[in-house]
Amino acid sequence: AEKWDMPMAYSASNFHSENGVKFAECVTEATGGEIEITVHPGGALFAGADIKRAIQTGQVQLGERLLSGHQNENAVFGFDSIPFLAPSFEASAQLWEAAKPKVEEVLAEQNLVLLYNVPWPPQGLYFKKEVGSVEDMKGVKFRSYNNTTARLAELTGMSPVTIEAAEVSQAFATGVAESMISSGATGYDQKVWESLTHFYEVDAWLPRNYVMINADVWEDVSDANKEAITTCATEAEERGLTASKEYTQFTYDGLREGGMNVEPASEELMKGLREVGDTMTQEWLEAAGEDGQAIVDNYKAMQ
Amino acid sequence: MTTLRKILDGLYTGAGALAAVCLVAILTLIVAQMVARWTGNVFPGAASYAGYAMAGASFLAFANALNRGSHIRVSILVNALSDKGRRLLDIWCFAVAAAVAWYFTYYAYWFVYWSWKFNEVSQDQDATALWIPQSVMVIGGGILAIALTDNLLHLIFKGDHRVTRDLVDQSFGE
Amino acid sequence: MTEIYAIALFLIVLFFLLGTGVWVGLALMGVAWVGMELFTTRPVGDTMITTIWASSSSWTLTALPLFVWMGEILYRTRLSQDMFKGLSPWLAKLPGGLVHTNIVGCTVFAAVSGSSAATLTTVGKMSIPELRARNYPEKMIIGTLAGAATLGLMIPPSLALIVYGVTVNESITKLFFAGVMPGLLLALMFMGYVAITSLMSKDWNPDVETDMSFAEKLRNSRFLLPVFALISVVIGSMYLGFATATEAAAIGVIGSLTLALFQGSLDWHSFRESLMGAMRTSAMIALILAGAAFLKLSMGFTGLPRALADGIAAMELSRFELLMALLVFYIVLGMFLDGISSVVLTMAVVEPMVRGAGIDLIWFGIFVVVVVEMAQITPPIGFNLFVLQGMTNHEMGYITKAALPMFAIMVFMVFVLIWFPEVATWLPENLRSGPATG
Ligand code: NA
Ligand code: NA
Repeated sequence: AEKWDMPMAYSASNFHSENGVKFAECVTEATGGEIEITVHPGGALFAGADIKRAIQTGQVQLGERLLSGHQNENAVFGFDSIPFLAPSFEASAQLWEAAKPKVEEVLAEQNLVLLYNVPWPPQGLYFKKEVGSVEDMKGVKFRSYNNTTARLAELTGMSPVTIEAAEVSQAFATGVAESMISSGATGYDQKVWESLTHFYEVDAWLPRNYVMINADVWEDVSDANKEAITTCATEAEERGLTASKEYTQFTYDGLREGGMNVEPASEELMKGLREVGDTMTQEWLEAAGEDGQAIVDNYKAMQ
Repeated sequence: MTTLRKILDGLYTGAGALAAVCLVAILTLIVAQMVARWTGNVFPGAASYAGYAMAGASFLAFANALNRGSHIRVSILVNALSDKGRRLLDIWCFAVAAAVAWYFTYYAYWFVYWSWKFNEVSQDQDATALWIPQSVMVIGGGILAIALTDNLLHLIFKGDHRVTRDLVDQSFGE
Repeated sequence: MTEIYAIALFLIVLFFLLGTGVWVGLALMGVAWVGMELFTTRPVGDTMITTIWASSSSWTLTALPLFVWMGEILYRTRLSQDMFKGLSPWLAKLPGGLVHTNIVGCTVFAAVSGSSAATLTTVGKMSIPELRARNYPEKMIIGTLAGAATLGLMIPPSLALIVYGVTVNESITKLFFAGVMPGLLLALMFMGYVAITSLMSKDWNPDVETDMSFAEKLRNSRFLLPVFALISVVIGSMYLGFATATEAAAIGVIGSLTLALFQGSLDWHSFRESLMGAMRTSAMIALILAGAAFLKLSMGFTGLPRALADGIAAMELSRFELLMALLVFYIVLGMFLDGISSVVLTMAVVEPMVRGAGIDLIWFGIFVVVVVEMAQITPPIGFNLFVLQGMTNHEMGYITKAALPMFAIMVFMVFVLIWFPEVATWLPENLRSGPATG
């Protein structure tokens, strides 16, 4: 039997990782034990940032990575993280459909083949106070961790503070930061209700985790096994989507139980945020050029 | 002192001085980031730059630290042996260490080459072309490999290596 | 079966390379290389560089050289003399007398220094001659100093906790605060031991101090101001949320430079010496961390850590039994390896085990630090023993015996931590909002 290693960046109990483990089991079974995949969750093998390169250069056969993390390298990778462009699970699915050919093309140039992808729960806004409009966000100390979040802060008048992931809950506890944009899951895991009070379901974007395989490895797989793996991948994609939706609800309930107000944003707040979203979509298009325009046009045509 | 000796010693000292400059750079970057936050500004990518300086401060310092005996080793056996045995054991240690360092340097070179070839950029806000900071691995690793080889040859042909150990100097790490 | 071969192979190669005296960081790389070559078909060199680059260019790690540098600067100031002058009038009347300056001095200095041996050298260069001049029992002077200096690793800032936090990816700030109460408690236990011994011992006849008036004592306390100011800015800035651990380190460096400047002990020469010393020491730790990162990856490819964690889980050890096994394991390892090496070396295997057993990783950090502290004073390789040997010219055996009671107190401390985990976990869980920082 062939043994494959599959690094995944998030902890073993994360639904992406659990899904990955089921995918690996499915592959072993469907290939009659010809291919055995060992999943290494929690960044045990490689940290998130290094996984794509590790697959590209054959250090591992396959792995999972949040592609929007690589948008400095190619703006197209950031298509799923444009704030307020596709704010729901349904819209995000359409956006992915619109982007799929282009993304797969870019990946092919990098010696990568996409097996499946699963969206994260939607990104919402965390605050230490009630916020009814973009006006209310002015001056709030907002955790930024990349260009998108820094720009979002700027456009909404918040003061961005850079906080590394490991120090997030500390930063809220001590008041270094008072707000962040993240999924319900992050807040739930970090128990942010100890310091924050409001969560707004603004569904800003739904970034995706992509499970990719090295193209040379893929080429050497027999046709029968390719089909088996593809079937497992399709199942994993569906299973992952369901898990993501369920987990979203679970974490919202958890945040409520912790004592936070979890609610949809007011119409006034959403209106202001959508304007910010339009600006940021334009800016992304400037960086992503024709490829980006094609994705957005495709997507808008589906609406 | 021969010219080569002077050049090599200059190389180790120079790299150490550069590493020290990286240390000062870390301090400056962290302070700048902190001041920016207190004054409501941002210093995009400060954490990444500090990370690169950290790599510089480490890799460029390896050879210098070796020659000053700062790197830790288990010395029970070395201390228990006679002079002749100690010399043989030290030859073994320097040979293994030099092999590891040259191996590291060789692959670090190719790693940086591919970063450059793929045009790999930092995933954080700084968006630095990564081959630039990554080069310190090749340079620092190379200088360490040279230093280890230098000591190995010295040990074989002159009878002793050139590592001097200073306990107070070393005590700050434990 | 392959697991057993893998374990045997890793251990044999590791002990061989370490035992013959290959530098720890490079030995770890060598072991990792052998493991990967034998157990995987993946390209070893590329993998090695990917992971070493990721681990050595980490932002979190930058706290390390900064805290080392801070210790180097303070070593070159008059801080320890001032501390002795400020502390001794208050401690002279306690049972045990001025020996307490050793312990309290180390505790206070531990709050500005990240390392145990640096605490030892800085406090010891002042207190040993002063205590000897007053005829305190030599064994007590040496023993308490060796033991109390290890608080440098427990009381924040702590290099051991930075290294641990970086290795297991936990918040360093939280780890720092977890160390505060256990550190103080340990200091109190050392002081209790000194007090009891002094009352029971017949050899305890030191020269009696001339009494100082309360006003005089207060006046002398001004000498403590610089060090407490420094502690306040470093720990206070973290506690109040002005700064992360890394930033507190930067504040500490600037604070120490300022202090040195005011004392007139900062000139170009001492500045350069402190900087070059810090550069070398942090490079030493960075090399070990680089090797450990590669070893962790190599072991990850072989599946060994998880197999071991599963194996241990299958033995259905209780949490207590697991911790006892780890305690014994680390004490033995600590006899031969320095603390930081033994932490990073074992975390690849121990971390999944501990997480699997549901043990809080912040609490476990403090458990590990107590054990690492012990390693500083156990023969044959114990760094504090070496430093004291250099400072006092006593035999290793003498120093080891003198430090033995402190070792016993630390073992007891492990049980206190197990029985009352809140000692470590309460403070980090109760860090609260500070004033606005904007
Ligand atoms: Na300390
Ligand atoms: Na020891």
